[in-house]
Amino acid sequence: MQIEIQGRRTHRKRRTDEGIALLISIFVLLLISVVAIALVVSSGTESALAGNYRSSTGVYYAALSGLEEARGRLLAKNPDSFTTTAPGFLPSPGTTLAIGSVAYVLNPGPTEVAANILTTYPDTEYDNEFGGGSLAGATVTTTNSVWNQTPLNGLNIPGPLYKWARINAVSEKSLNIDVDADGNPDSITPLYYDGAHFSNNPTVGPQVLEITSLAALPNGSQKLLQYLAAPVPITLPPFLGALTLSGSPANGAAFHAPASNSLYAIKGNDQDCNGSLTGLNYLAVGVFTNADKNAVINGIPPPVRASYTGFNSAPDVANITPAFPASLETPSQLDALAQTIAQSADVTIPSGPITYPLPTVTGSALTPLGMSSTNLLTVVVNGNLDISNWSNDGYGLLLVIGKFTYDPDTTWNGIILVIGQGQVDGSHAQFKEINGAMLVAKTRNSAGNLLPGSNLGGASVQFSDSMQGYGVRYSNCWIQKSQPSSNFKILSFHEISQ
Amino acid sequence: MNAVKLIIAAVLVAINAFFVIAEYALVRSRRARLEVMAEEGAKGARLALDQIVRDVNDAGYPPPTYAGTDPTKFASTPFAWSPNYTVPTTCTIDGSCITPGDFDIIIETNPTPQDPTSQVQWIRYQLQGTTLMRGAALKQPGNDPAIDTAAFLAPLVQNVVNNSSAAQIAQYQAAYPGMFPTGNPVPIFSYSCDTGNVPLACTAAGIDNSPANIRDVVVTLIVATALPDATTGEPRIVQLVGRGRRINPNQ
Repeated sequence: MQIEIQGRRTHRKRRTDEGIALLISIFVLLLISVVAIALVVSSGTESALAGNYRSSTGVYYAALSGLEEARGRLLAKNPDSFTTTAPGFLPSPGTTLAIGSVAYVLNPGPTEVAANILTTYPDTEYDNEFGGGSLAGATVTTTNSVWNQTPLNGLNIPGPLYKWARINAVSEKSLNIDVDADGNPDSITPLYYDGAHFSNNPTVGPQVLEITSLAALPNGSQKLLQYLAAPVPITLPPFLGALTLSGSPANGAAFHAPASNSLYAIKGNDQDCNGSLTGLNYLAVGVFTNADKNAVINGIPPPVRASYTGFNSAPDVANITPAFPASLETPSQLDALAQTIAQSADVTIPSGPITYPLPTVTGSALTPLGMSSTNLLTVVVNGNLDISNWSNDGYGLLLVIGKFTYDPDTTWNGIILVIGQGQVDGSHAQFKEINGAMLVAKTRNSAGNLLPGSNLGGASVQFSDSMQGYGVRYSNCWIQKSQPSSNFKILSFHEISQ
Repeated sequence: MNAVKLIIAAVLVAINAFFVIAEYALVRSRRARLEVMAEEGAKGARLALDQIVRDVNDAGYPPPTYAGTDPTKFASTPFAWSPNYTVPTTCTIDGSCITPGDFDIIIETNPTPQDPTSQVQWIRYQLQGTTLMRGAALKQPGNDPAIDTAAFLAPLVQNVVNNSSAAQIAQYQAAYPGMFPTGNPVPIFSYSCDTGNVPLACTAAGIDNSPANIRDVVVTLIVATALPDATTGEPRIVQLVGRGRRINPNQ
């Protein structure tokens, strides 16, 4: 009986506790909910702020990447240059891009079609600059971005989110400027860059190109950026002869042709890049004094002097002082030119600062460069270069500041500058040649010090009597191809409000 | 009896829920006010930062390359200076320049070049107290850009605390140890200058320390809300950092 009463009391107490537990549970749940909701609201605010920042910065750099791709591919030496990867996209280098010719680099995303890009993201800026309906009447060419070409399109990585980059010529009217101050903004004449200012005159320098890029992010952010750019070539000395030797009255040039090789000759008769004569004639050998003229002729074996042909009667050796730029006739001026070339070199061997006595580099250092007729390089050797037994061919501009030991087992297509020690020698066999032009100038002494005063040192080209080879053949084609790749300089930049 | 208990329990739960919801509403309301203030402050600062960066990116447009003899049509230099604004004679940053400086910059550019009647402007950002001001004046050859722009300055961002007192900085550091790392005011504008080699901080650029050589401008905005954090009671501040890069030629 007692047991039964205790059981009822226990049962009643447990039923009361159950109600309290429920209340506490509900209360705790509500508290947790409040805290959770507050956290969600708070983090949402932070996320929105971070997202806005990422978006505005991202779209700017996406548009900038479009500008830079187009600018980079304008460079002929770029492996992805338009010349190489998209023939016909732009006129060949050196040819004016007309007002009304518009070239687009298209960069569709993975789910977009290139043909629809300009419809989905129309270019309204062109008509703003050139007048309503101008784009509809323009000649339009397109090519894909590098991100839509092999090998990058095979990679599973997203490219930049720019949609298109436009390349076109500019005029006074499109830029709202009057470069010739005639009070009449010209709308059909392209602008050119003379190194300091714009001009309507095509002879003052290269053409100014406008590059405009539109980027669009998936969230709708868009940005339109614009460059004006122009190539800034390095001004090389005019190659008046197949071989030019520096010298002055006090420092005579020296030349010794291989006496036992009747096939060796230096010819100023211009050849194209296939070796065919063009009919144009330059000097065979140019020197800076009449004494050097006689010295060079005396260095040619009389039986082969008739082979030294060019502009004048053979042996065609002439004083070029009247025609050579006065701005390049002193040691410091020519040396400065060499330093300018060095600054834009594709390859510098050895790397690092120049040290005297100069180190000697062999031809094997050139092998890995992979020079070819489509990969012309500007190679600077900060030392002596000995290509003895190097049987590869060279393409482009070669600048050697020390002694250049030539081996006729090598054909060099392009320009060879030996500026500094101004020394060339050679003694090897085989029959190849130099196609282009060669300039040898002494501007420094053996300790590396610049020669004082305005008198150039005497260049020295001394081949052994037994050296083989065909010599030097003037080729304006290879000279032009070997001009140091100029940079497309940014002349102006601005963001276009949309 | 059970029904009565159930009703009492339901009433208690309802009362409890009411108080919880009321408390949440109060907290939410106060927090929302602070969030809105913080968000608006940060959003305004972000918009201002974007504007400054865009102006810096466009500095120097159009450059003198565009020819012509009318200096109101091209930027003589990307960044103007004071005193003695005479191109090409400049001052040194953190030296003889009053502007550009840690809390003051004048950008020379044409923000609306497609308008044939437009001309180059001096666009100035200057911190006055805790308010970042912005003003633009048309470039006038021979004038001092600092004087010309002063008349056009208007508030852009308020509660900018970059140039706070030592006591305030100590308070901010206690709440945000990563901010004000040196314990000193944080410049809104930090400059790097072009040199013959790589760009350096202008103050370390020697003879290249000049407004004309400014390449990058790092913009740091530290903005506070008017009220402290609702939960901790500590000051609530946000730091925004952007970088503008001048791409146009320097002169």
